[in-house]
Amino acid sequence: MTQRGHVLDDSWYLDYAAGTLGTEAQDVMMASHVELSDEARGRVAALETLGGAMLDASDGEAPLGFSVEDILRRAGGEAEEDLTAAPATAAPAADDSLCLPQALQDYLARTGTPVRWGFLGPGMRKAILWRGEHGERLWLLRAQPGVAIPHHGHNGSELTLVLKGSFWDGEQEYRPGDVEEAHPGVEHDIRIDEGGECICLALTEGKLKFESPVLRAFQVFTGL
Amino acid sequence: MTQDTDRRRSISDAARLAGLLEQVGRKRDAQAFRALFDHFAPRIRSFLMKRRVSSALADDLTQDVMLAIWRRASSFDAAKASAATWIYTIARNAHIDHYRKAVRARKIDEHDPHFQPPDQPLPDDLYERAEAGQSVTGALSGLPDDQRLVLELAFTEGLSHSEIAERLDLPLGTVKSRVRLAMNKMRQGLGEWK
Repeated sequence: MTQRGHVLDDSWYLDYAAGTLGTEAQDVMMASHVELSDEARGRVAALETLGGAMLDASDGEAPLGFSVEDILRRAGGEAEEDLTAAPATAAPAADDSLCLPQALQDYLARTGTPVRWGFLGPGMRKAILWRGEHGERLWLLRAQPGVAIPHHGHNGSELTLVLKGSFWDGEQEYRPGDVEEAHPGVEHDIRIDEGGECICLALTEGKLKFESPVLRAFQVFTGL
Repeated sequence: MTQDTDRRRSISDAARLAGLLEQVGRKRDAQAFRALFDHFAPRIRSFLMKRRVSSALADDLTQDVMLAIWRRASSFDAAKASAATWIYTIARNAHIDHYRKAVRARKIDEHDPHFQPPDQPLPDDLYERAEAGQSVTGALSGLPDDQRLVLELAFTEGLSHSEIAERLDLPLGTVKSRVRLAMNKMRQGLGEWK
Protein backbone atom coordinates (compact mmCIF):
# COMPACT_ATOMS: atom_id res chain seq x y z
CA MET A 1 0.00 0.00 0.00
CA THR A 2 1.42 3.36 -0.95
CA GLN A 3 0.43 6.96 -0.35
CA ARG A 4 0.82 10.12 -2.40
CA GLY A 5 4.40 10.78 -3.40
CA HIS A 6 5.26 7.23 -2.33
CA VAL A 7 5.99 7.91 1.28
CA LEU A 8 5.44 5.67 4.30
CA ASP A 9 2.79 5.49 6.93
CA ASP A 10 3.15 8.42 9.37
CA SER A 11 4.05 6.06 12.21
CA TRP A 12 7.46 5.56 10.52
CA TYR A 13 8.15 9.31 10.57
CA LEU A 14 7.02 9.54 14.17
CA ASP A 15 9.37 6.74 15.26
CA TYR A 16 12.21 8.30 13.28
CA ALA A 17 11.64 11.84 14.60
CA ALA A 18 11.18 10.61 18.18
CA GLY A 19 14.31 8.44 17.91
CA THR A 20 12.50 5.21 18.72
CA LEU A 21 13.13 3.01 15.68
CA GLY A 22 13.98 -0.57 16.62
CA THR A 23 17.29 -1.04 14.83
CA GLU A 24 20.20 0.89 13.37
CA ALA A 25 19.26 -0.54 9.95
CA GLN A 26 15.89 1.20 10.27
CA ASP A 27 17.68 4.43 11.25
CA VAL A 28 19.80 4.18 8.10
CA MET A 29 16.84 3.37 5.87
CA MET A 30 14.76 6.26 7.23
CA ALA A 31 17.62 8.76 7.23
CA SER A 32 18.34 7.87 3.58
CA HIS A 33 14.67 8.25 2.65
CA VAL A 34 14.40 11.60 4.46
CA GLU A 35 17.56 12.80 2.74
CA LEU A 36 16.16 12.03 -0.72
CA SER A 37 12.46 12.86 -0.35
CA ASP A 38 11.15 16.41 0.17
CA GLU A 39 7.81 15.10 1.38
CA ALA A 40 9.46 12.87 3.99
CA ARG A 41 11.73 15.71 5.09
CA GLY A 42 8.73 17.99 5.59
CA ARG A 43 6.95 15.45 7.75
CA VAL A 44 9.98 14.81 9.90
CA ALA A 45 10.65 18.55 10.27
CA ALA A 46 7.09 19.08 11.54
CA LEU A 47 7.51 16.28 14.08
CA GLU A 48 10.91 17.52 15.20
CA THR A 49 9.32 20.90 15.87
CA LEU A 50 7.00 19.08 18.20
CA GLY A 51 9.97 17.30 19.80
CA GLY A 52 11.56 20.71 20.37
CA ALA A 53 8.38 22.07 21.95
CA MET A 54 8.26 19.07 24.28
CA LEU A 55 11.93 19.38 25.17
CA ASP A 56 11.27 23.01 25.99
CA ALA A 57 8.37 21.97 28.19
CA SER A 58 10.41 19.38 30.16
CA ASP A 59 10.58 20.40 33.78
CA GLY A 60 14.22 20.33 34.79
CA GLU A 61 14.14 20.47 38.56
CA ALA A 62 16.83 17.94 39.45
CA PRO A 63 20.23 19.53 40.15
CA LEU A 64 22.84 19.03 37.46
CA GLY A 65 26.02 17.12 38.25
CA PHE A 66 28.10 19.74 36.40
CA SER A 67 28.23 23.44 35.61
CA VAL A 68 28.40 25.56 32.50
CA GLU A 69 32.04 26.36 33.34
CA ASP A 70 32.83 22.63 33.00
CA ILE A 71 31.51 22.75 29.44
CA LEU A 72 33.36 25.95 28.56
CA ARG A 73 36.56 24.47 29.97
CA ARG A 74 36.13 21.34 27.85
CA ALA A 75 35.35 23.51 24.82
CA GLY A 76 38.48 25.59 25.33
CA GLY A 77 40.80 22.73 26.29
CA GLU A 78 40.11 20.40 23.41
CA ALA A 79 40.72 20.60 19.73
CA GLU A 80 37.82 21.94 17.74
CA GLU A 81 36.47 18.59 16.74
CA ASP A 82 32.91 17.58 17.33
CA LEU A 83 32.29 14.74 19.76
CA THR A 84 28.83 13.85 18.61
CA ALA A 85 29.19 14.52 14.91
CA ALA A 86 29.31 11.63 12.51
CA PRO A 87 32.89 10.62 11.72
CA ALA A 88 34.34 12.30 8.68
CA THR A 89 33.87 10.08 5.68
CA ALA A 90 37.53 9.64 4.91
CA ALA A 91 36.78 5.92 4.63
CA PRO A 92 36.88 4.19 1.24
CA ALA A 93 34.98 6.55 -1.01
CA ALA A 94 31.90 4.76 -2.22
CA ASP A 95 31.46 4.34 -5.94
CA ASP A 96 29.77 7.56 -7.10
CA SER A 97 27.75 5.78 -9.77
CA LEU A 98 25.80 4.04 -6.99
CA CYS A 99 24.22 7.33 -5.85
CA LEU A 100 24.36 6.28 -2.20
CA PRO A 101 22.84 8.87 0.15
CA GLN A 102 25.15 10.45 2.74
CA ALA A 103 23.36 8.68 5.62
CA LEU A 104 24.14 5.31 4.04
CA GLN A 105 27.72 6.27 3.20
CA ASP A 106 28.23 7.36 6.82
CA TYR A 107 26.85 4.05 8.06
CA LEU A 108 29.11 2.02 5.76
CA ALA A 109 32.14 4.08 6.84
CA ARG A 110 31.26 3.91 10.55
CA THR A 111 30.76 0.16 10.57
CA GLY A 112 33.45 -0.66 7.99
CA THR A 113 30.89 -2.43 5.81
CA PRO A 114 32.03 -3.09 2.24
CA VAL A 115 29.64 -3.13 -0.70
CA ARG A 116 30.23 -6.56 -2.26
CA TRP A 117 28.01 -7.38 -5.18
CA GLY A 118 26.82 -10.92 -5.73
CA PHE A 119 24.59 -12.61 -8.25
CA LEU A 120 20.87 -12.41 -7.51
CA GLY A 121 19.25 -13.34 -10.80
CA PRO A 122 19.46 -12.52 -14.49
CA GLY A 123 20.30 -8.80 -14.71
CA MET A 124 20.23 -8.41 -10.93
CA ARG A 125 22.90 -8.14 -8.30
CA LYS A 126 22.68 -7.79 -4.55
CA ALA A 127 24.97 -6.61 -1.77
CA ILE A 128 24.01 -7.56 1.76
CA LEU A 129 25.05 -4.83 4.19
CA TRP A 130 23.74 -6.14 7.49
CA ARG A 131 21.94 -9.15 8.95
CA GLY A 132 19.93 -8.80 12.15
CA GLU A 133 19.38 -11.38 14.85
CA HIS A 134 15.79 -11.88 13.80
CA GLY A 135 16.37 -12.56 10.13
CA GLU A 136 16.32 -8.91 9.01
CA ARG A 137 18.55 -7.90 6.14
CA LEU A 138 19.65 -4.48 4.91
CA TRP A 139 20.79 -4.81 1.33
CA LEU A 140 21.32 -3.11 -1.98
CA LEU A 141 19.67 -4.23 -5.19
CA ARG A 142 21.18 -3.29 -8.54
CA ALA A 143 19.10 -4.20 -11.56
CA GLN A 144 19.49 -3.68 -15.29
CA PRO A 145 16.89 -1.70 -17.27
CA GLY A 146 13.73 -3.65 -18.08
CA VAL A 147 14.38 -6.54 -15.67
CA ALA A 148 11.25 -8.10 -14.19
CA ILE A 149 11.01 -9.59 -10.71
CA PRO A 150 8.10 -11.95 -11.16
CA HIS A 151 5.06 -12.38 -8.99
CA HIS A 152 6.15 -12.69 -5.39
CA GLY A 153 4.88 -12.18 -1.88
CA HIS A 154 6.68 -11.60 1.40
CA ASN A 155 6.81 -13.51 4.64
CA GLY A 156 7.65 -10.34 6.51
CA SER A 157 7.50 -6.68 5.67
CA GLU A 158 9.95 -5.02 3.35
CA LEU A 159 10.92 -1.41 2.71
CA THR A 160 12.39 -0.60 -0.69
CA LEU A 161 13.90 2.85 -1.27
CA VAL A 162 14.88 3.90 -4.77
CA LEU A 163 18.36 5.48 -4.89
CA LYS A 164 18.82 5.60 -8.65
CA GLY A 165 16.65 4.95 -11.70
CA SER A 166 13.10 3.74 -11.16
CA PHE A 167 10.91 0.66 -10.97
CA TRP A 168 7.25 -0.06 -11.51
CA ASP A 169 4.95 -2.08 -9.30
CA GLY A 170 1.92 -2.52 -11.50
CA GLU A 171 0.93 0.99 -12.60
CA GLN A 172 2.90 2.80 -9.91
CA GLU A 173 6.31 4.22 -10.65
CA TYR A 174 8.87 4.58 -7.86
CA ARG A 175 11.63 7.15 -8.33
CA PRO A 176 14.65 8.23 -6.27
CA GLY A 177 13.51 9.07 -2.73
CA ASP A 178 10.30 7.06 -3.09
CA VAL A 179 9.85 4.11 -0.79
CA GLU A 180 7.52 1.16 -1.06
CA GLU A 181 6.40 -0.78 1.98
CA ALA A 182 5.47 -4.36 1.18
CA HIS A 183 3.40 -6.24 3.72
CA PRO A 184 3.16 -9.99 4.25
CA GLY A 185 0.55 -11.53 2.01
CA VAL A 186 0.59 -8.76 -0.61
CA GLU A 187 1.73 -9.87 -4.05
CA HIS A 188 4.11 -7.80 -6.15
CA ASP A 189 5.06 -7.71 -9.76
CA ILE A 190 8.13 -5.51 -10.11
CA ARG A 191 9.58 -4.24 -13.36
CA ILE A 192 12.68 -2.05 -13.64
CA ASP A 193 12.14 0.97 -15.88
CA GLU A 194 13.65 0.72 -19.37
CA GLY A 195 15.40 4.09 -18.97
CA GLY A 196 18.43 2.96 -16.99
CA GLU A 197 19.78 0.76 -14.22
CA CYS A 198 17.99 0.91 -10.89
CA ILE A 199 19.60 0.81 -7.47
CA CYS A 200 17.52 0.33 -4.34
CA LEU A 201 18.17 0.07 -0.64
CA ALA A 202 15.98 -2.62 0.90
CA LEU A 203 15.23 -3.66 4.46
CA THR A 204 13.64 -7.08 4.54
CA GLU A 205 12.14 -8.87 7.50
CA GLY A 206 11.22 -12.26 6.07
CA LYS A 207 12.13 -14.28 3.01
CA LEU A 208 10.61 -13.48 -0.35
CA LYS A 209 7.94 -15.97 -1.34
CA PHE A 210 7.90 -16.91 -5.01
CA GLU A 211 5.01 -18.82 -6.53
CA SER A 212 7.12 -20.68 -9.02
CA PRO A 213 8.97 -23.74 -7.62
CA VAL A 214 11.93 -22.95 -9.89
CA LEU A 215 12.30 -19.50 -8.37
CA ARG A 216 11.86 -20.97 -4.90
CA ALA A 217 14.74 -23.37 -5.57
CA PHE A 218 16.70 -20.42 -6.89
CA GLN A 219 16.41 -18.68 -3.52
CA VAL A 220 18.59 -21.35 -1.93
CA PHE A 221 21.51 -20.09 -3.98
CA THR A 222 20.93 -16.38 -3.74
CA GLY A 223 20.29 -16.22 -0.01
CA LEU A 224 17.21 -14.04 -0.22
CA MET B 1 -3.80 33.26 32.15
CA THR B 2 -5.22 32.79 28.70
CA GLN B 3 -3.73 30.44 26.23
CA ASP B 4 -3.09 33.40 23.97
CA THR B 5 -0.78 35.21 26.40
CA ASP B 6 0.90 31.88 27.04
CA ARG B 7 1.56 31.47 23.38
CA ARG B 8 2.80 35.04 22.91
CA ARG B 9 5.20 34.60 25.76
CA SER B 10 6.58 31.35 24.43
CA ILE B 11 7.08 32.89 20.99
CA SER B 12 9.12 35.81 22.38
CA ASP B 13 11.05 33.35 24.54
CA ALA B 14 11.80 31.31 21.41
CA ALA B 15 13.10 34.44 19.66
CA ARG B 16 15.37 35.20 22.61
CA LEU B 17 16.80 31.66 22.60
CA ALA B 18 17.36 31.72 18.85
CA GLY B 19 19.17 35.06 19.25
CA LEU B 20 21.43 33.61 21.94
CA LEU B 21 22.26 30.61 19.79
CA GLU B 22 23.12 32.88 16.86
CA GLN B 23 25.44 34.92 19.11
CA VAL B 24 27.24 31.76 20.18
CA GLY B 25 27.56 30.76 16.52
CA ARG B 26 28.81 34.11 15.30
CA LYS B 27 30.94 35.35 18.17
CA ARG B 28 31.59 32.38 20.47
CA ASP B 29 29.80 34.47 23.07
CA ALA B 30 30.30 32.69 26.42
CA GLN B 31 27.72 34.90 28.14
CA ALA B 32 25.06 33.93 25.61
CA PHE B 33 26.09 30.29 26.03
CA ARG B 34 25.64 30.54 29.82
CA ALA B 35 22.09 31.78 29.27
CA LEU B 36 21.39 28.94 26.86
CA PHE B 37 22.86 26.50 29.35
CA ASP B 38 20.60 27.76 32.13
CA HIS B 39 17.58 27.25 29.94
CA PHE B 40 18.40 24.02 28.16
CA ALA B 41 20.80 21.92 30.26
CA PRO B 42 18.19 21.04 32.93
CA ARG B 43 15.63 20.36 30.21
CA ILE B 44 17.93 18.08 28.23
CA ARG B 45 18.78 16.17 31.37
CA SER B 46 15.14 15.82 32.33
CA PHE B 47 14.26 14.77 28.77
CA LEU B 48 16.88 11.98 28.93
CA MET B 49 15.75 10.86 32.38
CA LYS B 50 12.20 10.43 31.10
CA ARG B 51 13.66 8.15 28.46
CA ARG B 52 14.91 5.92 31.25
CA VAL B 53 18.56 6.89 31.10
CA SER B 54 20.41 6.61 34.44
CA SER B 55 21.15 9.93 36.13
CA ALA B 56 24.94 9.52 35.72
CA LEU B 57 24.55 8.84 32.01
CA ALA B 58 22.04 11.68 31.67
CA ASP B 59 24.70 14.03 33.12
CA ASP B 60 27.31 12.72 30.66
CA LEU B 61 25.07 12.95 27.63
CA THR B 62 23.79 16.39 28.61
CA GLN B 63 27.38 17.65 28.79
CA ASP B 64 28.11 16.16 25.37
CA VAL B 65 25.01 17.81 23.94
CA MET B 66 25.87 21.22 25.45
CA LEU B 67 29.41 20.93 24.08
CA ALA B 68 28.00 20.04 20.65
CA ILE B 69 25.76 23.13 20.85
CA TRP B 70 28.79 25.31 21.54
CA ARG B 71 30.73 23.83 18.65
CA ARG B 72 27.99 23.58 16.07
CA ALA B 73 26.10 26.80 16.83
CA SER B 74 27.35 28.40 13.61
CA SER B 75 25.36 25.85 11.60
CA PHE B 76 22.11 26.84 13.35
CA ASP B 77 19.71 28.58 10.97
CA ALA B 78 16.85 30.38 12.71
CA ALA B 79 14.91 30.42 9.45
CA LYS B 80 14.82 26.62 9.39
CA ALA B 81 14.17 25.61 12.98
CA SER B 82 13.70 26.98 16.48
CA ALA B 83 16.55 26.73 18.97
CA ALA B 84 14.54 24.11 20.89
CA THR B 85 14.00 22.02 17.76
CA TRP B 86 17.64 22.23 16.74
CA ILE B 87 18.77 21.25 20.24
CA TYR B 88 16.15 18.52 20.45
CA THR B 89 17.62 16.78 17.37
CA ILE B 90 21.13 16.95 18.85
CA ALA B 91 19.92 15.48 22.16
CA ARG B 92 17.89 12.77 20.42
CA ASN B 93 20.83 11.78 18.22
CA ALA B 94 23.25 11.71 21.15
CA HIS B 95 20.88 9.35 22.94
CA ILE B 96 20.42 7.07 19.92
CA ASP B 97 24.15 7.01 19.16
CA HIS B 98 24.89 6.00 22.72
CA TYR B 99 22.24 3.29 22.65
CA ARG B 100 23.32 1.87 19.29
CA LYS B 101 26.94 1.78 20.43
CA ALA B 102 25.91 -0.14 23.54
CA VAL B 103 23.98 -2.60 21.37
CA ARG B 104 27.01 -3.13 19.13
CA ALA B 105 29.54 -3.38 21.97
CA ARG B 106 27.63 -5.60 24.38
CA LYS B 107 25.67 -7.39 21.71
CA ILE B 108 22.52 -6.67 23.64
CA ASP B 109 19.35 -7.72 21.95
CA GLU B 110 17.37 -4.69 20.89
CA HIS B 111 14.18 -6.67 21.35
CA ASP B 112 15.11 -7.71 24.87
CA PRO B 113 12.21 -7.16 27.30
CA HIS B 114 14.68 -5.35 29.60
CA PHE B 115 14.65 -2.49 27.16
CA GLN B 116 10.91 -2.26 27.08
CA PRO B 117 9.25 0.42 29.19
CA PRO B 118 9.29 -0.73 32.82
CA ASP B 119 6.57 1.32 34.47
CA GLN B 120 3.11 1.14 33.03
CA PRO B 121 0.80 3.81 34.39
CA LEU B 122 -2.86 3.21 33.77
CA PRO B 123 -4.30 4.90 30.69
CA ASP B 124 -6.39 7.20 32.93
CA ASP B 125 -3.29 8.70 34.58
CA LEU B 126 -1.78 9.17 31.17
CA TYR B 127 -4.74 11.17 29.97
CA GLU B 128 -4.46 13.40 33.02
CA ARG B 129 -0.79 13.96 32.39
CA ALA B 130 -1.45 14.78 28.76
CA GLU B 131 -4.02 17.32 29.95
CA ALA B 132 -1.50 18.97 32.28
CA GLY B 133 1.00 19.41 29.46
CA GLN B 134 -1.49 21.02 27.15
CA SER B 135 -0.80 24.71 27.68
CA VAL B 136 2.91 24.44 27.05
CA THR B 137 2.88 22.78 23.69
CA GLY B 138 0.73 24.96 21.50
CA ALA B 139 1.33 22.78 18.49
CA LEU B 140 -0.50 20.00 20.29
CA SER B 141 -3.30 21.98 21.83
CA GLY B 142 -5.74 21.63 18.95
CA LEU B 143 -5.56 17.86 19.00
CA PRO B 144 -8.06 15.52 20.65
CA ASP B 145 -6.71 13.89 23.83
CA ASP B 146 -6.22 10.47 22.33
CA GLN B 147 -4.07 11.80 19.48
CA ARG B 148 -2.09 14.13 21.70
CA LEU B 149 -1.34 11.32 24.12
CA VAL B 150 0.24 9.18 21.39
CA LEU B 151 2.59 12.01 20.35
CA GLU B 152 3.51 12.82 23.94
CA LEU B 153 4.37 9.22 24.73
CA ALA B 154 6.55 9.07 21.62
CA PHE B 155 8.54 12.20 22.38
CA THR B 156 8.61 12.39 26.15
CA GLU B 157 8.93 8.72 27.04
CA GLY B 158 10.62 7.66 23.84
CA LEU B 159 8.13 4.91 23.01
CA SER B 160 7.81 3.56 19.48
CA HIS B 161 4.32 3.39 18.00
CA SER B 162 4.15 -0.34 18.69
CA GLU B 163 5.24 0.20 22.31
CA ILE B 164 2.54 2.84 22.62
CA ALA B 165 -0.03 0.32 21.38
CA GLU B 166 1.13 -2.12 24.07
CA ARG B 167 1.13 0.51 26.77
CA LEU B 168 -2.36 1.74 25.98
CA ASP B 169 -3.57 -1.76 25.20
CA LEU B 170 -4.77 -0.69 21.76
CA PRO B 171 -4.53 -2.43 18.39
CA LEU B 172 -1.53 -1.27 16.35
CA GLY B 173 -3.84 -0.01 13.61
CA THR B 174 -5.61 2.30 16.07
CA VAL B 175 -2.34 3.91 17.13
CA LYS B 176 -1.28 4.28 13.50
CA SER B 177 -4.52 5.99 12.57
CA ARG B 178 -4.22 8.37 15.55
CA VAL B 179 -0.71 9.29 14.40
CA ARG B 180 -2.01 9.88 10.88
CA LEU B 181 -4.91 12.06 12.05
CA ALA B 182 -2.70 14.07 14.39
CA MET B 183 -0.15 14.70 11.68
CA ASN B 184 -2.78 15.80 9.20
CA LYS B 185 -4.03 18.35 11.71
CA MET B 186 -0.56 19.53 12.58
CA ARG B 187 0.32 20.02 8.94
CA GLN B 188 -2.48 22.57 8.80
CA GLY B 189 -1.53 24.57 11.88
CA LEU B 190 2.15 24.18 12.61
CA GLY B 191 3.62 27.07 10.62
CA GLU B 192 4.22 29.45 13.50
CA TRP B 193 6.07 26.83 15.56
CA LYS B 194 8.88 26.41 13.08
